[in-house]
Amino acid sequence: MLNLLREVQIPLLAALLLGACASKFVRVMRSKSMAAGLGPTALFPLKLRKPAAIAMCATEFGCGIALIVTAGPFASGTPANLVRLATGLLFLVATAALIELRSVRPDIGCGCFGEFSTTPVTWRTIARSALLAVAALVTMPLRPLSPDKLSDSAVTLLLLLAAELVVFALLSPEIRDIMVRIGYSAPCELRVVSPDNTFATLQRSAQWRKHSDLIASREPSDVWRELCWRYVAFPSRVAGKDAELVFAIRLDHQRKPSVLSALVDTATGAVLPWPATTAKHARARVRVARRAKLAYRPGAISQAERSLPGSRRSR
Amino acid sequence: MKSVTVCCDRCPAANTTDTSHFARRRLLKAAVFQPQPGAQNRGDQPIEHKAERVGQVLAVSQSIGESDPANRPVYRAVSGKITDISPHFVTIGDVAGERRIALTAGATAWRGEPLEPSALTIGDDAVIRIIPSQSGITGIADRIWANIGRVCGTIIEADGKRLLVAECAMRQPQLVEISPLASVRIKVKVPNLRPGYLIDIIGVRHQDVLYGIVVTSPQPPYRSDRLPPQRLSGGRIPDSITGSAVWHEPAHEPYGVLGVFYPAVDPATGCFEDAAAKIGPGQAKAFRELPYLAIGSALTVRNECTNIAWTLPVTGCSPTARLFNDHCVTCKTSPRGRIADLTLASFVALGGELEQGCFNATLTIGR
Repeated sequence: MLNLLREVQIPLLAALLLGACASKFVRVMRSKSMAAGLGPTALFPLKLRKPAAIAMCATEFGCGIALIVTAGPFASGTPANLVRLATGLLFLVATAALIELRSVRPDIGCGCFGEFSTTPVTWRTIARSALLAVAALVTMPLRPLSPDKLSDSAVTLLLLLAAELVVFALLSPEIRDIMVRIGYSAPCELRVVSPDNTFATLQRSAQWRKHSDLIASREPSDVWRELCWRYVAFPSRVAGKDAELVFAIRLDHQRKPSVLSALVDTATGAVLPWPATTAKHARARVRVARRAKLAYRPGAISQAERSLPGSRRSR
Repeated sequence: MKSVTVCCDRCPAANTTDTSHFARRRLLKAAVFQPQPGAQNRGDQPIEHKAERVGQVLAVSQSIGESDPANRPVYRAVSGKITDISPHFVTIGDVAGERRIALTAGATAWRGEPLEPSALTIGDDAVIRIIPSQSGITGIADRIWANIGRVCGTIIEADGKRLLVAECAMRQPQLVEISPLASVRIKVKVPNLRPGYLIDIIGVRHQDVLYGIVVTSPQPPYRSDRLPPQRLSGGRIPDSITGSAVWHEPAHEPYGVLGVFYPAVDPATGCFEDAAAKIGPGQAKAFRELPYLAIGSALTVRNECTNIAWTLPVTGCSPTARLFNDHCVTCKTSPRGRIADLTLASFVALGGELEQGCFNATLTIGR
C-alpha cells in the first residue's frame, strides 16, 4: 500500500510542477511583465525579481520533465533519486519562502499557479507546499515504474490518486479563484459586503481575541474598503500614548478569512510593538470568546469581556 | 457600525477639512501590511525606519504623485479671472492674489473656439496650463481655456435649444443652451435631446448658463435609468483597467485639488448621491463593473495619449460617470466606459486637453 502511495506521487508532482510553470508563463504572457504577481519574488530586490521568476519557472519545468523521464527504467537509480531529492528541496525552499512571504507581504498571494493564486498566503498554502515536499522525498527509494505492475493495481492507484487530489484541493485556495474565473462566483473586489458582516468576521478572529483589549472605544474611528480588504480602525491607548488599532479583514466567502492587525502611534504614525499581555489573560480571553459564541453575535465579546480581570476597556 | 458617507463630486460640503483624515488611511494600510515589529522587537520603542516609510506613503497621498522617474513633463494648472492680457503675458487674480504669467510664443487659447491669447478679454475665467520648468524658469504658460464649462448628467427638461440637466442630487440642475453654430454637430452625436437621456457637453459658461459647443463622444442610446449591465469577462478583475478618463468642473472643490473621482466607491460607505436617490448598497447601476475602492485609495492614472502617469488619491465618487458607455477617441479608441472622473487640475497635469473632454486612460490600483 505504501509503495502504491509512493507511485502515485510521481505523476502528481510532475503534473503540479508543469501546471504551475504553465500558469505562470500564461500570466507573464498576458500581462507582458515578468513582475506580474509572481508571489515570492516580491521577497527579492526589484532588480532580482525577473531572474528569480525565470529561475523559479525553469526549475519547475525542469523538475517536472525530469520526474517523468526518470520514472521509468530509463535513468533510474541515482539520477532518479537526485531529481526527486531536488524536487523535495524545491518544495522545502518554497515552504520557507511562503512562511517568509506571509510575514513580510501578508496581502499578496503565493503566485504558485499564476493568476489563480492571488489569495493571501495562509497556513493551508504552506501546508500544501510542505506536504508536496514530503511527497517528493518519500519517492526516493521507489523502483522504476512499469506499466504492467501499475495495471495490476490500477483501481487502488486511482483511488489513492483521487484521495490525494481531494486533500490538495482542500489545501488549495486556487479552487475558489478558478470558480470565480469560470464565472460561478463574483470576484471579491466586486462583492458587496456590509460592514456589519465584516465586524462579525472580525469578532470571531484570533486577531480580535488577541488585541481587542487595547481598544479604547467601541466606535471605530474609521472604516473603509479597498478591493478585497476592509479596514477598521479603533482608537487605542498604549503606554500613555494615543494609538490606533487597525484591522484588515479579507472579504472572502471563506469561513475563516484572513485578518491582519497593527498598532499605530497616532502622533507619529509609527508602528508600535504589541504590548506584552500575560498568558493567563490571553487564555482567559480565548475561553470567554468561545463561551460567548462570538461567531454570529456582534457585540457579544464586549459584554463577555467586561467580566475579565484587568480588562483595559474604558467603559 | 458607523461608516463615513462620502460626498459625490459636486457635493457642496466637500472641502479639505472633511477629507483630511482620508490621507491617514494609506498610512494605516501600510502599517497593517508591513512586517510587524512585535516578533523581532520586544522593546517599547517604535521602529523609526518604519515610521519614516509610512510617512513617505502619507506624503504620497497628500501630493500628486510618487516620483518622476522618466523626467516626464509636469503640467500644472492655475485658474482665476483675467485682469490683464497681452500677446506675451496674462495676469490673473486668484485666491493667492494677482499673478502674472508669461506666455510661450506658440501659446494658444480657447473660448468656444481656438483663438490667440490676446483675443481673450479682461474678466474671463481662465484655466491656464503651466508647462514643465525649463532651465529653472517657472511659470510659463502654453494653453489658456477661457470660460470653459462642462455639464454631464441626465436631461430632466428639454425645450428646443435649452436643456435642464441633473448632474447629481447634491447640486442644482444645470441650464444648457445649445449654441446655434454647433447645433447640427451636436444633434448628430446627441440624437436624444429628451428627458431621461444622458448628455455630456462642453462649452462656454456665462453666469449660470452653459452654451454647449462640443460633445466629446456619442450619446449612450439608453435612458440613464435603463442602462445595460456589462458582464465582466472571465469573472476576474484585471491588474490594469483601461477606459476613458474625463474631467469635471471644480464647483465647490478646494482650489487646485489633485485627485480622481472614482465611479465605484464602496457602496457600504457610498456617496451622498446614492443615499439622496435612495439607492441601496450595491444597487447603483453602472455600465462597467469596477473594483470597489474608498476615498483615499491610490490610483495610478496613465494618459495613454501623452504617456504621462501619476498616482492620485481617490477624492470623491462619481455617480454620473459610471452611467456612460462611451469610447474616448482622443488618440485611439478606448474600451467602453468611464473609469475616472479627474479634477480639472489632475486632467491638465496628465496632459489632457480640456476641450477634448477625455483621454484614453489606464488605471492601476495600488494593491
